[in-house]
Amino acid sequence: MFNILIERKDFFLNLLLEHIQISLIAIVIAIVIGGISGILISEYERTAKPTLAVVSILYTIPSISMLGFLIPFSGIGNATAIIALTIYALLPMVRSTYTGIKNVDTRIIEAARGMGSTNFQILYKIKLPLAFPVIMSGIRNMVTMTIALSGIAAFIGAGGLGVAIYRGITTNNINMTMAGSLLIALLALSLDFLLGIVERNVRNISSVNKKKTQIKKRLSLAFTAILIIAAVFSTINFNKKSVIRIATKPMTEQYILGNMLSILIEHETDLEVELTEGVGGGTSNIQPALEKGEFDMYPEYTGTGWNMVLKNEGIYSEALFEQLVQGYEQQYDLTWRGMLGFNNTYGMAVRTEIAEKFNLKTYSDLAKVSDQLSFGANYDFFEREDGFKAVTEAYNMHFKDTLDMDIGLKYQAINQGKIDVLSVFTTDGQLSQSDVIVLEDDLHFYPSYKCGTVIRTEVLDKHPELEVVLEKLAGTIDDEQMSEMNDLVESKNQEPEDVAEDFLIEIGLLN
Amino acid sequence: MAIIEYINVNKSYGNDWTLENFNLEIEQGEFVTIVGSSGSGKTTILKMVNGLIIPDSGTIIVEGQDIQNVDLINLRRNIGYAVQGSVLFPHMTVEENIAYVPNLLNKKNKQKTVNAISKWMGIVGLDDSLRDRYPGELSGGQQQRVGIARSLAASPYILLMDEPFGSVDEITRKQLQVELKAIYEKTGITVMFVTHDIAEALLLGTKVLVMNDGAIEQFDTPENILQNPATPYVEQLVPREK
Repeated sequence: MFNILIERKDFFLNLLLEHIQISLIAIVIAIVIGGISGILISEYERTAKPTLAVVSILYTIPSISMLGFLIPFSGIGNATAIIALTIYALLPMVRSTYTGIKNVDTRIIEAARGMGSTNFQILYKIKLPLAFPVIMSGIRNMVTMTIALSGIAAFIGAGGLGVAIYRGITTNNINMTMAGSLLIALLALSLDFLLGIVERNVRNISSVNKKKTQIKKRLSLAFTAILIIAAVFSTINFNKKSVIRIATKPMTEQYILGNMLSILIEHETDLEVELTEGVGGGTSNIQPALEKGEFDMYPEYTGTGWNMVLKNEGIYSEALFEQLVQGYEQQYDLTWRGMLGFNNTYGMAVRTEIAEKFNLKTYSDLAKVSDQLSFGANYDFFEREDGFKAVTEAYNMHFKDTLDMDIGLKYQAINQGKIDVLSVFTTDGQLSQSDVIVLEDDLHFYPSYKCGTVIRTEVLDKHPELEVVLEKLAGTIDDEQMSEMNDLVESKNQEPEDVAEDFLIEIGLLN
Repeated sequence: MAIIEYINVNKSYGNDWTLENFNLEIEQGEFVTIVGSSGSGKTTILKMVNGLIIPDSGTIIVEGQDIQNVDLINLRRNIGYAVQGSVLFPHMTVEENIAYVPNLLNKKNKQKTVNAISKWMGIVGLDDSLRDRYPGELSGGQQQRVGIARSLAASPYILLMDEPFGSVDEITRKQLQVELKAIYEKTGITVMFVTHDIAEALLLGTKVLVMNDGAIEQFDTPENILQNPATPYVEQLVPREK
């Protein structure tokens, strides 16, 4: 895990900075809005209960749903992440400000009023300084929480250390996940420590070292100010450059393809690429972002486009490709380019030994001998409507015996001979390492899921050179090659960038 | 000339009348001590002078003006206010506490404020080395002294005190009483001083106001209170041994 931190220190440093930026902006907004709300509801008592009720309810919304609610309004990316984080940060902020002010001894407030302070003077000379310890502990809680919660921002295509965690999870790279988590924890702890120093210096109600304290106080305030200013400035620069924004779904294959596109575009053209890897929810979140112009392109599968985007019923086959492209162009001003060649669909794999013994090539061949074979799949295959029941009925298969197992263990089971037939995805990384043969779906029971790039036609018109790059990739990757690349990332712990680059060199597109 | 006047003042909390048709005139330069049982309305009439409590009906006149028609913030800045247990601002040093009202009044003339602080610290018997201490670092007696200095720092013409020596030991209390008396004699300020201790009231006041159930039992010089108690209530209140 520490090796990965050192080897990829630029990657992590970038994520760390992004993480600080996203959380800090949310924290500052929450302190300002939450602080002001807390003050207002403490001054106008009648508004306190409803306000606290509203922020408490907001606080109970699970973060995943919150992000889901926000995506239609603010899209994918940092803005949504910051809004969500701010909403969560509001409750501790409003509540601690309100409680802090309400807990100030009323006799002290009356004394201040009796001496001729205006309401505003009472607020800033008496209430706020005395409420400070409570407010500060609220802020410290909120900061730790926000830093941790920012990890989830990656789910909706925002930056930050969550990117490492999410990528680690989706590419089976536990070290990456651990490294990202560790950095988040360290960041949260160090910010809390810093705030602790600020708090102690400001709170110091003792005459000893008063001068020294004031210097420290100014230093820590200055430091905080610099952090905030830096965070704000870095956002201003955020969207200045004209870049091609590529998104990918959260799966190993897409990380590799995204990097491949990114590397090749930057190599072949003068365009700059901003790659947002592993957008949570995949198509259902990337497609709307594409329509809004937040992303320019992403790798997609034809069958998914046909059913999920164009919302057609029925099984997609490549004979419908023309219609698919037309549908995209007419409905969304999007088009398909650079069909890579491979087809990531459901498949049935049998052990080579069995395939040779019975001379199996197709599902129909398999059906004939199925009563002698045992079948394995992960749990959900037995549950899905188009899963086990449908496919066995369509081909009239009757397996001797069926086994459901964990997705991570199913290849182990077939390699150890515990099962003979396995439900797979045709580009599964482990497929390339297993002594199995993938049979042909000769009745076309499953849709075709060929991979290509969906791109905004507007972008293509503006940068015709992109078309050239995308066509260079057309037909370059077959199922087996994709499966091997997936395996390099998932089992050999190689980085998607490196795998993508090596492949481009191997096929002669890069030198 | 009356500096404070209550004319037909009524005030109730809930169903009970705290004050009913209350009338009183306080002459400039008097030291009026107010005694009475809890709930007799002593604190209420005190807080009406600086508008912390507004009467339900009736008029309060301070320095010839109905306080309904004056800026309360400004009025309060010219009336010293010291309450029970002194209630210092715990997050401010001795210096900042004493300078509180002067700072509200003039932000420009810092030197004047610094001088006023030194002067008042001297008068109430606080060592100059205590300037940068916080209230939490002071003894009870020192805190009371800061409270008095704070209430006087802006040279008010009226001083309102609500059991200011309520929470100190007997010895410190005696010292503070002597000092307060000296300050009064030196400045000629008008003082209203609420206490539940009849001995303290008789010792400090040039006039003693005895209250019971929101009404005046007697308002007179200490001598007359002692020698000619107006009501049985006053009679059982004053020490018999004299």
